[in-house]
Amino acid sequence: MKKLIAIFLSALMLLSLVSCGASDSNEATGDNAKDLKVGAIYINSKNDTAGYTYAHHNGITTAMKELGLDVNTQLFIVDEVPEDPEQVRAAVDTLVGKNVDIIFGISFGYIDALETAAAEYPEVIFSHATGYKSNETNFNNYFGRAYQARYLSGIAAGLKSLQTGNNNVGYVAAYGTEYAETASGINGFALGVQAVNPNAKVYVKKLGNWADEVNESAFATELISSFGCGIIAQHCDSAQPQIAAENAGMFGCGYNSDMSPDAPKAHLTAAIWNWNVYYRTAMEAAMNCGSADNFVATMGTPAYYGGLKENFVDISPISENCAPNTQKAIDAVRELIVNGEWDVFSGVKLSITADGVVTKADADLLDNAGNVIVAAGGASVEDGVITGTMNYYVAGVQEA
Amino acid sequence: MRFHVVKRDNWPLWKRAVAYLIAVVAALLIGAVILLAIGVNPIDYYYQLFTMGTVGNRFAYKTFMNYIKEFLPLALTSVALSLAFKMKFWNIGGEGQFIMGSISATYIALTLGQTLPMWLTLIVMCVVAMLVAGLYGLLAGFLKVKFGTNETLMTLMLNYIALYLLYFIGETKASWNIFLQESSMRPVFVNFSKFVSFPSIKMGGKFELNICVILTAIIGVLIYIYLKRTKHGYEISVIGDSVGTAKYAGMKTNKIVLRTAFISAALIGLAASFKVGSAGVLSTAITDDVGWTGVIVAWLAQLNTGMIFVVSALICVLQFGSTVAATTYAQVDSSFANMLQGIILFLVLAADFFIRFRIVRVKKGE
Repeated sequence: MKKLIAIFLSALMLLSLVSCGASDSNEATGDNAKDLKVGAIYINSKNDTAGYTYAHHNGITTAMKELGLDVNTQLFIVDEVPEDPEQVRAAVDTLVGKNVDIIFGISFGYIDALETAAAEYPEVIFSHATGYKSNETNFNNYFGRAYQARYLSGIAAGLKSLQTGNNNVGYVAAYGTEYAETASGINGFALGVQAVNPNAKVYVKKLGNWADEVNESAFATELISSFGCGIIAQHCDSAQPQIAAENAGMFGCGYNSDMSPDAPKAHLTAAIWNWNVYYRTAMEAAMNCGSADNFVATMGTPAYYGGLKENFVDISPISENCAPNTQKAIDAVRELIVNGEWDVFSGVKLSITADGVVTKADADLLDNAGNVIVAAGGASVEDGVITGTMNYYVAGVQEA
Repeated sequence: MRFHVVKRDNWPLWKRAVAYLIAVVAALLIGAVILLAIGVNPIDYYYQLFTMGTVGNRFAYKTFMNYIKEFLPLALTSVALSLAFKMKFWNIGGEGQFIMGSISATYIALTLGQTLPMWLTLIVMCVVAMLVAGLYGLLAGFLKVKFGTNETLMTLMLNYIALYLLYFIGETKASWNIFLQESSMRPVFVNFSKFVSFPSIKMGGKFELNICVILTAIIGVLIYIYLKRTKHGYEISVIGDSVGTAKYAGMKTNKIVLRTAFISAALIGLAASFKVGSAGVLSTAITDDVGWTGVIVAWLAQLNTGMIFVVSALICVLQFGSTVAATTYAQVDSSFANMLQGIILFLVLAADFFIRFRIVRVKKGE
C-alpha cells in the first residue's frame, strides 16, 4: 500500500512539474502571438491519407509545427463540409465559437459564405484557397503558380518522349478549358513538353469531376490504347492514371504528391504543392498583424499567388525512369523562373536539347486555333488570366 | 437445444420506452468504446456533443439558430416519408424529391423574385415546389399502380436523376443557366436572399425564429389529424395492413396509393422550399441528406408523427453536436455521427424485435 501511495505521489509531482514547465515556457516567450488559434474548414475528412484535403491538412499542421504551435490544442477543424453556403456558415459559426483567430477555407465553393462571414466577424481573419474574393482588412485568398511546376514536369515528359520516340502524350484532367486552373496546368505542361519535343502532341481527356478513380484509370488506359500515348500526365486526385501507365508499360507524370511509390516503373516526376509555405506565411502574418483588420495589409496583397520562387509549388524528385539530362534541363529552367528572367506564358520560347541545353528565342504564343495569345517577345500574360480567364489550349493540345 | 420465436403480448408503454432507452444507451456505450480505442475521452466528447459546444460560447445563439436550420427540413421530410411508409409505400426518394423541390423553388425566386411582392413569391415558390416534387413522387406511384414496378427501386433511381440534374445545373455555365452567377468565371450559385427570404421573428436579444418553424409545427399537427382523424388517414392505414382488405372494403386502392405518394413527395417539396427560401441560395448539397436521414428518423419514431419531431430533434443534436465535438479532436471526424446513428438504428430495431417477440427455448420431447 505504501508503495502505491509513493507511486501515486511521485506521479503527481511529475505531473505538476510538467504543468510548471508548460506555464514557464509561456511566460518565457511572453507574447500572445503563440496563442494563435487556427480554424480550418475542409471539404473531405481530416483523416484522409491522400488527395486535396490531405494536402491542405498536412500543410496546416506542418506550418503550425514549424511555428511552435500545438496542433492538438490550437487547431480546430470542421471537416466534410460540402459547398453549401448554409453549412459553411454553420462551420464558421462553430469555429468562431471556439475563439479562433484565423479560418482557412480550402474549397472554391465556400467563396460567398466566407465573404459574408468576413463582414460579420471583423475580429476574425478569413483566408480562402482557390478563390478570387477578398476585402481590404480580414479576408484574402490564395493560390499558386502550379503551371510553373507543370512546365518542369513537361520537360521530363518531353525528354522521355524523345528517348522513346513516341510523340503522343496523354493527360487525364478533371476539367479542360472550363477552369483556368486546369487549362493553365495543361498548357504549362504542354509547353514544357514542346520545348524539348516540338513534334509532341498532348491529348486531353476530361473527367468532368475532380475525383473519379474508376474513370481516372479507364481514361488513362484509353489514351494509351486508342491514342498511342506513351506518357500519361494528370490533373486529378488519385494515382490511378500512373498505375494504368505502369500496367501498360508506359510512363507518367503525377500530381499533388510524389506518385513514385504507386507506380515505381512508370512515374517520372509530379507537380506538387507545398501548402505549408502559404500557411506559414499567413499564420505569421496573423500573429504579427496585431488585429484582424491589419491582416491583408500585413500580407501585402489580398491575393497570395506564390510559385517556384517561394517554393509554394515544386516537382517531386526526378525518378530513375527519367531520360538522361532531365535534372540538368529542369535545374536550368527553374533558375530562369526563380530569378524572374522568364515565365511560361510569354512571347519567349525555350528550346531544350536532348543534352539538356536550354536556349531562349522570341516566338508567338499561339492557342490551338492559331490565335496569337502573346506576340513574339511579349511579356507574360497577366496573373488574372491564369487565375481566372484562361479558357483555351495552346497549340499542340487537343481533347481526345 | 432449439429456440422458438414467439409473439409477445403487448408491452405497456413504459416497458417499451425502457427497452428503447437501453438500446440508445448501449449504442452510446459502443461509441464510447470506439472513442476510447482511438484515444479520445468519451465523457468529454459526449459532453461537447450533447451540449453542442454551447456552454461558455458567446455565440451560443448562433449554434441554436443553425441547429434549427438543420432540424426543420429533417422533421418535415421525415413526417412526409412516414405518410407513405404507413401505407407500406417505400418512398426512398426523399433526396430526389427534395432536390426537385429546391430547383423549382429557386427557379421561381430567380424569375419572379424581383417583380412580385415577396410574400407572393414565397407562396408561389412553395406551391410550385410542392407540385414539382409531388409529381416526381407520383411518377413512382404511377409506375407501381400501372405496371406493378417496385417503388423502392424506382424512387431510389429517381434520386440519382435529380442529383445529377442538380450537378449539371451547378457546373454548367451557359446563357440559359440563370442559377449561376454571370460574373463568376467558375460556377457559383446566385444568392437571392436580398429579395426573397422567409421572414424571421425577433425573439429578444440576437435570437431570431424563422417563420418556417411555426409553419412546420402547424403542418405537423395537420398531418397528425390527417392520419388519425380523417377518412384518408384511415384508408392509408388499412392499405398498410392489407391491400386485400382495403379492396374488399371497396376502397379504390390505386387512387389512394397515387394520392398518398403525391402528398408525401409534395410535403418534401415544401420542406425544400422552406430550406432554399431561408438559405436564399441553391447548392449541390442542398438536401443535407435529409432524404436518407428522414428514413431513419421515421423508423426510429415508429412512424408516429409526434415522435418524429422528437427523434429529428435528437438526431440533429447528434449530427450537429458531433461536428462541434470533432473540432477539438483530431482523431474523430464528422463521420462519427453517421456511425453512431447507424448503431442506434440497428439496436433500436433489435429492441423493437424483442418488444414484439420473445425467444423461447423448446423443451426436449415437444
